[in-house]
Amino acid sequence: MKAMNIDGIDKPENEKYVLSLKNISYKYEKTTKNVLKNVSADFETGKIYSVIGKSGSGKSTLLSLIAGLDVCTEGQILYRNEDLKILDRDEYRAKKIGVIFQAFNLLTNANAIENIVLSMQISGNETRDKTGCAYGLLQKMGIDKETASRKILKLSGGEQQRVGIARAVSNDPDIIIADEPTGNLDTETESDVLKILTSLAHESGKCVIIVTHSKKVSSIADCVLTMKDGGLAAGK
Amino acid sequence: MYILTNAIKNLTRNTGRNVLAAAVIFAVIAAAVAALIIYNTAGGVIADYKTRFGSQVVISVDIDKYVGSNPPRGGQSAMALPQVTAAQSISFADSNYIREYTMRVSKDVTGDDLKAIDEGSGGVFPMGGNTLGDFMLTNNFDDFESGMRYIKDGGPIMNSGECLISEEFADLNGLKTGDKIELFGSMSNAEDGTKRTATYSLTVAGIFYDFTDEYPGMRMPLSNKRNEILVSTETLTSSMLEGESGLAVSAVFYLKDPQMLADFEAEIRGKGLSDYMAVRTDEAGYNRIVAPVEGLMGFTLTFLIIILALGAAIIALLCSIAIRERKYEIGVLRAMGMKKKRVALGLWAELIMISCLCLCFGIAAGTLAAEPIGNTLLAEQTKAAQTPDVPRGPINLNNPRGTEADAIPPLEQLDIRVGTPVIMQIIGMTVCLVSFAGFVSIGKITKYEPIKILSERN
Repeated sequence: MKAMNIDGIDKPENEKYVLSLKNISYKYEKTTKNVLKNVSADFETGKIYSVIGKSGSGKSTLLSLIAGLDVCTEGQILYRNEDLKILDRDEYRAKKIGVIFQAFNLLTNANAIENIVLSMQISGNETRDKTGCAYGLLQKMGIDKETASRKILKLSGGEQQRVGIARAVSNDPDIIIADEPTGNLDTETESDVLKILTSLAHESGKCVIIVTHSKKVSSIADCVLTMKDGGLAAGK
Repeated sequence: MYILTNAIKNLTRNTGRNVLAAAVIFAVIAAAVAALIIYNTAGGVIADYKTRFGSQVVISVDIDKYVGSNPPRGGQSAMALPQVTAAQSISFADSNYIREYTMRVSKDVTGDDLKAIDEGSGGVFPMGGNTLGDFMLTNNFDDFESGMRYIKDGGPIMNSGECLISEEFADLNGLKTGDKIELFGSMSNAEDGTKRTATYSLTVAGIFYDFTDEYPGMRMPLSNKRNEILVSTETLTSSMLEGESGLAVSAVFYLKDPQMLADFEAEIRGKGLSDYMAVRTDEAGYNRIVAPVEGLMGFTLTFLIIILALGAAIIALLCSIAIRERKYEIGVLRAMGMKKKRVALGLWAELIMISCLCLCFGIAAGTLAAEPIGNTLLAEQTKAAQTPDVPRGPINLNNPRGTEADAIPPLEQLDIRVGTPVIMQIIGMTVCLVSFAGFVSIGKITKYEPIKILSERN
């Protein structure tokens, strides 16, 4: 499969791509079937990409590979022209990419502030007033101080998702990936979350990649990538 | 630094789980502390006894060897047992292996112009062709040290040829300080057996009150304590010619180190100690006192090993369960980019902090429990070690009063000692224990990739 950018025009590899997938394939351990087959794509900063497709088409697997949570069996994933297989993936996850999980994946025995402060500490963020910074971020996501001090399990799904987004952006990463970010949310909250994601891409210049089934979510994307039978095709 | 602060926060975040872990760790530490304290104290007691009794040399007739070489003939037992002479004892004491020694020398004597208390009551006893005298010359001043005797008139012995006599003896003979007395004792040549009468010309230096038991033995002049005439060792040995015997000598030698016994024996054999004499430390006395303590020590060591092994297994199991419960948390931390070793360090730090808290309480509880437990166990061991049979051993002719160990009853109570080394051992043991448990459990979980952990939960 030929590499393509979101405009559908072939471009030479250069530094404007924050992330490039080069013929990546993936199969799970002890299986023979490839979940992903020769997938190639380039991603730029300041844009929103949505990855759609049927269940089991490999969307979440692709997201895991981009997030550095797993390694492709063939091909390369380049972050600013550096292969993820060579990069320190812990460092990459801590500093270069923010992940918003469908299941939130927050530390449930800590409060919202502690989740964000810990993420900043792990990434080596040198901000002195990390707690103040975390409050600021949560405020932007519509979480007040009182809510921010509550244990995660005492928050609603929408609030948890906002905390997840705040954590994902807390280290000012280049790439933000979101797996079904609105899957568990009501319509009103879904709109709020989409506004935040749009703002992150178009105002803060992040590369936002969203895996979704939702047409509403896809509608805000600058580029829609469709997963089918382990392959990737560009739309919009 | 954030790993530590996060670990501290986690202690309060997971209270229930941590309290359970703390309870188990506390129980293990308290039991281990008690066992270790008892073990170390028992070790100290043994080392102390070893130094005291292991260094006390007993020179005695090896009766089996002697009878084997000199079988009884014609219905008569050959009772002329070998003995250590005064000259030999003095030469034995002159050794580099000796830390200190005590030598009691005595000689039965008669006096032409002197009357003895109880004279005529027991008569004279023939012994080995000789008759015993009425008075005992001795250099034993122990009763003065114990306060049973003290000088009434005159003063202590300052020179050779001076003596101290009892008030009763002085009154009976009309003696006072400064008076001179003459005593006679039989000496025999060790080679040809010829006899000679040695004369002791003594000046009364002092007269003492005597509160000792007048008749510690038979009722006869010689064994009456009031007839004892105290002189210096020099006075006693000065009347003896070279190669003569006739003085009763009781010497106890203390080695600088129990390990020097073989060298000391070789040296005194070279100085003429008979082959029929056995040289040994007070093994029987040592065993009598130390056996229960050794039993206790062995028991506590076994207990300690079991406790540590069981404790390590239980803590490892508990940690494994706790870590499994926290698998998701670990997955989240790893997904956030925290390195495996930092995750492991955080979990280990939590375990160490719990252990430190338990250490404080465990050491206190273990120390309090150690003494009653130790004494109960010791009583059981003492009871088990008591045997009614007295084993046949060499006859200690030279120290008829017995050894120091004979005078000491078996240990009944442990003097529990908790010093810095014990505390350091306990801390080291605890850190090793929880580190091992942590290594087993934490190592298991950190080998998983975060995606696997999170996908399992999802």
